[in-house]
Amino acid sequence: MIHQYMLGGYNIVLDVCSGGVHVVDDVAYDIISMFETESREDILAAMKEKYVGKDGITEADIEECYDDVVSLKDSGKLFAPDTFEPMAGHLKAKTSGVIKALCLHIAHTCNLNCSYCFASQGKYHGERAVMSFEVGKQALDFLIANSGSRRNLEVDFFGGEPLVNFQVVKDLVAYARSIEKEHGKNFRFTLTTNGLLIDEDVIEFCNRECHNVVLSLDGRKEIHDRFRVDYAGNGSWDRIVPKFQQLVEARNGQGYYMRGTFTHANPDFLKDIQVMLDLGFNELSMEPVVAAPDDPSALTEEDKAIVMEQYEKLAMLMLDKDKEGKPFTFYHYMIDLTGGPCIYKRISGCGSGTEYMAVTPWGDLYPCHQFVGEEKFKLGDVWKGVDNTEIQNEFAECNVYARPECRDCWARLYCSGGCAANAYHATGSVKGVYKFGCDLFRKRMECAIMVAIARQLGE
Amino acid sequence: MKHIKTIETRNLCESAKKGGCGECQTSCQSACKTSCGIANQQCESTKESKENK
Repeated sequence: MIHQYMLGGYNIVLDVCSGGVHVVDDVAYDIISMFETESREDILAAMKEKYVGKDGITEADIEECYDDVVSLKDSGKLFAPDTFEPMAGHLKAKTSGVIKALCLHIAHTCNLNCSYCFASQGKYHGERAVMSFEVGKQALDFLIANSGSRRNLEVDFFGGEPLVNFQVVKDLVAYARSIEKEHGKNFRFTLTTNGLLIDEDVIEFCNRECHNVVLSLDGRKEIHDRFRVDYAGNGSWDRIVPKFQQLVEARNGQGYYMRGTFTHANPDFLKDIQVMLDLGFNELSMEPVVAAPDDPSALTEEDKAIVMEQYEKLAMLMLDKDKEGKPFTFYHYMIDLTGGPCIYKRISGCGSGTEYMAVTPWGDLYPCHQFVGEEKFKLGDVWKGVDNTEIQNEFAECNVYARPECRDCWARLYCSGGCAANAYHATGSVKGVYKFGCDLFRKRMECAIMVAIARQLGE
Repeated sequence: MKHIKTIETRNLCESAKKGGCGECQTSCQSACKTSCGIANQQCESTKESKENK
């Protein structure tokens, strides 16, 4: 399967199964589009009629171009067949029984009261609670015990707002550091915070211990303060921005994401990206809101057209900033064409429920943070482990070939079937497809690959 | 080739032979937290081999 598109002045051809990326001229673009359905004679005749005499193109040029396409096909870089499906289950089973990442719900409570929060202001539709050191310690022991030969173990301190329970965060990190060497492990900690409680102590801790810090900022003050308010209804932008700037400066601008959410209120989110850049932040992530369709913040079909255009403009902005010598990162446009994921990862997906689990303040295990509060998805707990094997098997069976809708999608090996939580909330099944999200994802991939091409070609 | 520039990429078919060490980052764990995509993940083994060069 191939995918062809034009963006940023490039004619781009993706070969889905080999991972090949080609930039082609107009003649090659047309030949490739006809290659699988028309005969050589018909293609050459059509191309000669359309192109010979234009821009000095000769009949020999067109025949040479056709031969180039044949050559790429023969070398497995175009129209490569999908040979992965028979090995999909086997590849995912390679990590069966091995857990390498936990999301620790350090606090099911929050000092902000954001109406669009997927975690219902940190409560996850349940009681407010904070995780004790004992529960967290057991979670870390559980992770080590179930991580097999994996060396790199990821732990994210999440909430709610994890800094309302900061002492437990610090104590758990100290505990993990005290045991990681003897077990041959390397913990990578991350912290996701709304910023209100950042102080010198937090900054020093993050810079010493956290591989990455995720900072929640929605961009423009009026956009941010529409949703991100305290319990008195006051916006938080003025209080958190200076703290974020201080933290990022102390990290030398590395190892963080400024993470925003865009909603029906700001499908024109590029303005928010621009504000983040103006504030001095260069590592950016901007996410479409996760909300039920009847929620007033949910994105609509009309918003989608705006968002698609914003993604294209964002790609062009990145290239403009490159030229100015002020490059920035957008999480969804990070793509390493030579050092990206292997086919195992591309087929298997995010690993929720198998390699990755979320732990509640009470020590219960869920397939990921977005399933916490959905009682039927409870997998077990950190003391006795996973005992709900029926639900775990559903997640173990999630691979890109488990979703019929993905079979004809060119982006399937870039997204690996998508987010199980998004699929569940959209369709009632973790093996469903969140079509709205798919459309946005495909646009992001087209943009990301175009940016990578422009950078590689140095134009 | 005059009409086609092929960008250097990782060959996915080749990666089937040696892939699957599992050391890579869990997809959305430490960043977006709300949407899965694996294209922006880095391979730990190719990263290490690049760093060791």
